[in-house]
Amino acid sequence: MKLEITNLKKSYGDKTILNGIDFTFESGKIYGLIGRNGAGKTTFFNCLNEDVDIDSGYFYLEDDYGKNPLCNSDIGYVISTPTVPEFLTAKEFLTFFIEINAERVDPNKTIDDYFELVQIPKEDQDKLLKEYSHGMKNKMQMLINIIANPKVILLDEPLTSLDIVVQEEIKNLLKDLKSEHIIIFSTHILELAMDLCDEIVILNHQKLELVEKNHLNTKKYKDKIIQSLRDSSND
Amino acid sequence: MIKTIQMSLKIDMTYAINSFIYHLKRLPILKDLMTDHIYQNQLLKKLIRILAIVLSMGRFLLFRFLYFFVIYWIACFLAPTQVGSAFVHIYFVFAIIGLFLNNKLLTTSTKKYFSIILFHMDAKLYMKSSLWWDLFSSLILNSIFIILFGSVLSFPFWLSLSMIFFSFFVRIIGEALNLWFYRKWGYLWYHNLTAYFLILGILLVCSFTPYFDLFIPNFAFYGVVLISGICSIFSYYYLLKINDYKLIYQRLNTKNQAMNSDAQKAYSRQMMVAMKEKDQWIDSKKIQGKKGYDLFNTIFFERHKEILLRSARNFAIFIFFVVVILLVFVLAQDGVAKNIHDFLLNHLGWFVLIMYFINRGSIITQAMFYNCDHAMLTYNFYREPKVLLNLFKKRLITVTKVNLLPASVLALGILLLLYFTGGTTPLNYVMIPVFILVLSIFFSVHYLVIYYLLQPYNQDMQMKKVSYSFVSMLTYLVTYWLHDLEMSSLTFSMVGLLFTISYIFLSLFLVYKKAPETFKICS
Repeated sequence: MKLEITNLKKSYGDKTILNGIDFTFESGKIYGLIGRNGAGKTTFFNCLNEDVDIDSGYFYLEDDYGKNPLCNSDIGYVISTPTVPEFLTAKEFLTFFIEINAERVDPNKTIDDYFELVQIPKEDQDKLLKEYSHGMKNKMQMLINIIANPKVILLDEPLTSLDIVVQEEIKNLLKDLKSEHIIIFSTHILELAMDLCDEIVILNHQKLELVEKNHLNTKKYKDKIIQSLRDSSND
Repeated sequence: MIKTIQMSLKIDMTYAINSFIYHLKRLPILKDLMTDHIYQNQLLKKLIRILAIVLSMGRFLLFRFLYFFVIYWIACFLAPTQVGSAFVHIYFVFAIIGLFLNNKLLTTSTKKYFSIILFHMDAKLYMKSSLWWDLFSSLILNSIFIILFGSVLSFPFWLSLSMIFFSFFVRIIGEALNLWFYRKWGYLWYHNLTAYFLILGILLVCSFTPYFDLFIPNFAFYGVVLISGICSIFSYYYLLKINDYKLIYQRLNTKNQAMNSDAQKAYSRQMMVAMKEKDQWIDSKKIQGKKGYDLFNTIFFERHKEILLRSARNFAIFIFFVVVILLVFVLAQDGVAKNIHDFLLNHLGWFVLIMYFINRGSIITQAMFYNCDHAMLTYNFYREPKVLLNLFKKRLITVTKVNLLPASVLALGILLLLYFTGGTTPLNYVMIPVFILVLSIFFSVHYLVIYYLLQPYNQDMQMKKVSYSFVSMLTYLVTYWLHDLEMSSLTFSMVGLLFTISYIFLSLFLVYKKAPETFKICS
């Protein structure tokens, strides 16, 4: 499965954020999206998710059944500050979600299976989401996006401010998911990107650039990425 | 569609019940009786559900009754001899106002954000089901009260039937028109305030024509109902033809606009006091020669001039126009002068209420917190008594200056009105304006002092202290109580002056003693 982006352009007033992006993402890989502050990573995600109007460009999804324009329902967008219905319990949230999306959900899996997937213990399942910590809310948000089974998963700094154990759990979850999804993971933490992602993509000069590893060792690869980021700020 | 309505109601109900239990659980004794597993208790939830259904049905019936009662009351007032015709006329115009303003499809709500964005409901199906739910419930409620008021006012059967269906038809037309406008121009028409007030004004004027014996003739009413019926079919067809509801809901119900309770209030608060772009650059002359806290305060004031001064300036202009209009009335109509003169000399308490409303202290302290203190308070040096008091003094002068602008216009206006309505003693000429200015200083001090003593916001600008809300409410209650107090203006201003001066000194003393401990970010 491939996500093809052609000539994506987006400006805010006089400021060009994305300038003719042509890029193809593939399933089976986790892409780490890196860029300096204000480079336009969130704008890029918002364009894909149709949260903002684009100036020009096309998004196509190509799978075994052919090449079709990307639909909003193909995307699961996990934002860094999770928003959940705070006066529902986690179990109610999940039950309602599964009822509404019955056609997209795996009928062989139970609610308990899903909770186990993100390791939310039984005693927390009947608590209000309002009383959940940031990390727990994040897990619920992630879970909902996984259950809906979108073809493309966009993650905008989802591990920020999570404890190490939860980070590891979510990283493992993403690794399990990558074979059937296109996963694009935006982060500022280079170590995290290098540890989790199969490819590093930099948003540089308002375009996406793949940083080829070319058999470099970790240290040299890291230096290469940082150098590319430095170059972008010197323009 | 029925399934979507059921699901939507089920989520709403669960949300409301949980919210009720959550707040119940925070009450002193119940807090200890209810454990964290309370949300599992299905029996309790069932009982609350029955109570909630009964209460919401009661609320729907009450509100709709009030709506019809207001129409009836206006009809009695405008045309006591032809109440029936006036009732139909006003109902008709109000329904058209509803066509423009009673828009459910495009309004922003947390519920839509949850349903469409989080729960991934089919947006078009959601639109259809929520529209039909609204139409159907309105149809039933309107039928009940049109039959009720129709029997009191002896409406013929066909007239009642037409009235019931008219509001049904215009709702569909309204939704389609609003949607068409939004898709064509990219914004909601009522966000253009000029257009909004113009249309609302024209229609409100139209609803009052029965006062001049001008009614919508019956034949015209039936004709319009028929035409609106036909238009509603086309409108509904248009609503069905549109396929990008998901996108429309997504654009209108963004995370920030549809956030949860506390967070949403905090967000609106932040937006209200956020620095405006045109204030980014400061005229270097303004800060020349200044240093220390004086410089710090000047920079803050200059960077937030627009927020701090805008509403004070608007109030000053508004007061100026009110005074001019009153002066025109005084000169043009007999009797007005005497009423205004009596009011100014015997009801000075009203000005306490007016000064309470026009004082910008509350918004200024919010701006201070969001744009300065929430960051600065994380540094210990900022909370040292000397630093705190120095800045407090500078700020007090700034806040007082801002608030004195509308207060001076009001004081001057009162002087002019007193002069042109018959004049008064020299002592009154001095005392009343002085009292207005001192009131302005009082509210400036009051807001700043309660901010320093009861700082209520947490890092995200969410209100976390009940005591602050309590003192704010108490301030309003006392102010409200004073407005109706009958006392000669001279006595009132003398007593007020003494109280205000004592209060100011006491507050300053309290800030000096207590603020270093109390002025901090709420956890």
